[in-house]
Amino acid sequence: MAEAPDSLVMSVLARSLVAGTPLLLGTLGEIFTQRSGVMNLGIEGMMAVGAVSGFAVAFETHQPWLGVLAAMGSGALLALVHAVVCICLRATQVVSGLALTSLGLGLSMLLGKGYIGQPLPVRFEAWPLPGLASVPIVGPLLCQRDPLFYLAVASGLMLWAVLFHTRWGLALRTVGENPVAAETLGLDVIGVRVVATVFGGAMAGLAGAYLSLAYSPSWIEGMTAGRGWIVVALTIFSLWNPWRAFLGAFLFGGIDVAQFTLQSYGISPQLLKMLPYLATLGALWFTSSARHRASPPAALGQPYERGTR
Amino acid sequence: MQREYKWFLPGLVGILVVLGGWLSAAQGREGPPAEGKPVKAGLIYVGPIGDYGWTNAHEQARQALVKKFPWLTTTYVESVPEADAGRVIDRLITEENCDVVFATSFGYMNDTVAAAQRYPDKIFAHCSGYKQAKNLATYFAELYQAYYLNGLMAGALTKSHKVGYVGAHPIPEVVRHINAYALGVREVNPQARVHVKWLYSWYDPAKCREAAEALVAEGCDALAFTEDSPAVIQVGEEHTAKGRPVYTFSHYSPMGRFGPNSAVSGQLVDWTGLYEMLVTSIREGRFEGKDHWWLMKEGAAAIGAEPGQPINPKFVEVLKKIEHTDPVLGKTNIHDLVMKRIEQMTDATVSFDPFTGPIKDNTGQERIKAGERATHDQLWTIDWYVDNVVGSVPK
Repeated sequence: MAEAPDSLVMSVLARSLVAGTPLLLGTLGEIFTQRSGVMNLGIEGMMAVGAVSGFAVAFETHQPWLGVLAAMGSGALLALVHAVVCICLRATQVVSGLALTSLGLGLSMLLGKGYIGQPLPVRFEAWPLPGLASVPIVGPLLCQRDPLFYLAVASGLMLWAVLFHTRWGLALRTVGENPVAAETLGLDVIGVRVVATVFGGAMAGLAGAYLSLAYSPSWIEGMTAGRGWIVVALTIFSLWNPWRAFLGAFLFGGIDVAQFTLQSYGISPQLLKMLPYLATLGALWFTSSARHRASPPAALGQPYERGTR
Repeated sequence: MQREYKWFLPGLVGILVVLGGWLSAAQGREGPPAEGKPVKAGLIYVGPIGDYGWTNAHEQARQALVKKFPWLTTTYVESVPEADAGRVIDRLITEENCDVVFATSFGYMNDTVAAAQRYPDKIFAHCSGYKQAKNLATYFAELYQAYYLNGLMAGALTKSHKVGYVGAHPIPEVVRHINAYALGVREVNPQARVHVKWLYSWYDPAKCREAAEALVAEGCDALAFTEDSPAVIQVGEEHTAKGRPVYTFSHYSPMGRFGPNSAVSGQLVDWTGLYEMLVTSIREGRFEGKDHWWLMKEGAAAIGAEPGQPINPKFVEVLKKIEHTDPVLGKTNIHDLVMKRIEQMTDATVSFDPFTGPIKDNTGQERIKAGERATHDQLWTIDWYVDNVVGSVPK
């Protein structure tokens, strides 16, 4: 090997962080949505629309940050549809989420027709963090990344703090655990749920923007490639805790990366191809065996009608 | 994944079909009086027309022909799972009244053969298959010559003597392309080895990117691939921008724009001529149910990362400076060697073919005898690697 083995390890670690970032962004959003008691299975659709609108706006304006805003906006808009249907009209959340996936994927194809095969004139470049970037190992791994990676890490930390250490977080969790009690306490259950759902959509849109603006700067139909579903699994795996979302997202990113590195060691590629799915099963098994430590928000998936019990 | 499109696509396709029919009907009225009979063609696509690869290339040909021939009307259905082909063919024949159905995926073969028996007065053409009938032709635009030419350039440019290949599925078509690429590499750089990563997917930009990154991390500095997105080119461009040149070769569609400093060349397909020949033969009533296997000579394949540029102008001088001594041509350089080989592979007799023996596989077994050329059948079923490819074809 021309390269020292440690640089191969470094490359795998670094690529795992990159591949895990969109998963992290999506998972953080879905954790918030589900904590409020709303299940949104439409991540895949919101991600796809985020990816295409982020790409389109960045392509037309040459401003990647405007693309990010557009992606978050369009993800939020789709999530608002889900919120109106499920929270205000009290329709079945699973069905609405699945419809949102189909709608989002179809919409992304329609919107993206003109952008296929167009290279992005601007993209997110790496921003080395001053001072930290030259620290061995940690520097190249964590501090020489693109700004959306920092944004993902920062929002993970922030959301953890908000969820467990602020009154807003307490209100959100109460709404998801016991909406009747929340209403008795004077909380606006419907309002909290709508905000949490729309926020989750914005995060899914941001995850899509990461794909089309930083990870693989281009628009191609179906580029989300099932990540929205992995996000749903990771939300369960994380036990609705942003801390564990980091672990899950980068672990799954790592599995995506490692399957190609391991091919050169004579391990059957068919077997390696199964790794992410085996890992999903493993994660679900792990979660169900850890049930006694954390369980899903008690009111998850149940529509709430004001004044009934 | 496909399942999610299930309800949306039929609606979208329905609207497109109606719109398309209306537009082409409007166009047809303005056309000159027909000499032969008008032809209505239905195409079945396995992917979305926006895949920037296989399906997109067929769609480009369809659009070009609809513009060219006022007597031709077309309709298409995209993202058709291989199990649904029979149902879609029925619809195209009975509801859309198509005269000919083009089934553009290998997996449609058995349904297409069955449909050809069911509708003996309709015409069928199946892309990449091997079963023909009186009213069923097979057709394919083959790229192995272009892969060989890319291999010449990759072998000449690599500094690490490790070149990489990201393969979609380990089927004969892809194995043939890897071997052609490896034969090119070996001709100019016998010490270089070809390293392969398999995706088990025709289309997955993120996975493809990770496979390319893994090859680069292992030391490969020239990459070719079979996958319908520019992910490998982008990886090459990113490493090149960071000061570590990684040379890439674009696949199927023009992808040079994604890697102006990395994409040296590539293979470009053009299905237009093949489709033109087929629809014209139907219009003139001289369709035959035989196999059409088109290569560079017929204009179905070319090299380049962008149309009209066989080699990225940035690399022309670089390749001219790399000297090479050929046993037949004598002292030459890589640029001229590539050009000479194109000339030989497009002349009337196809005076050069990369799969000319002696060729051994990487276990030492002789596969093609000295002086012999691989037959169409050998190339069609190839399941072994030539001697400078590392590893074995997954079974």
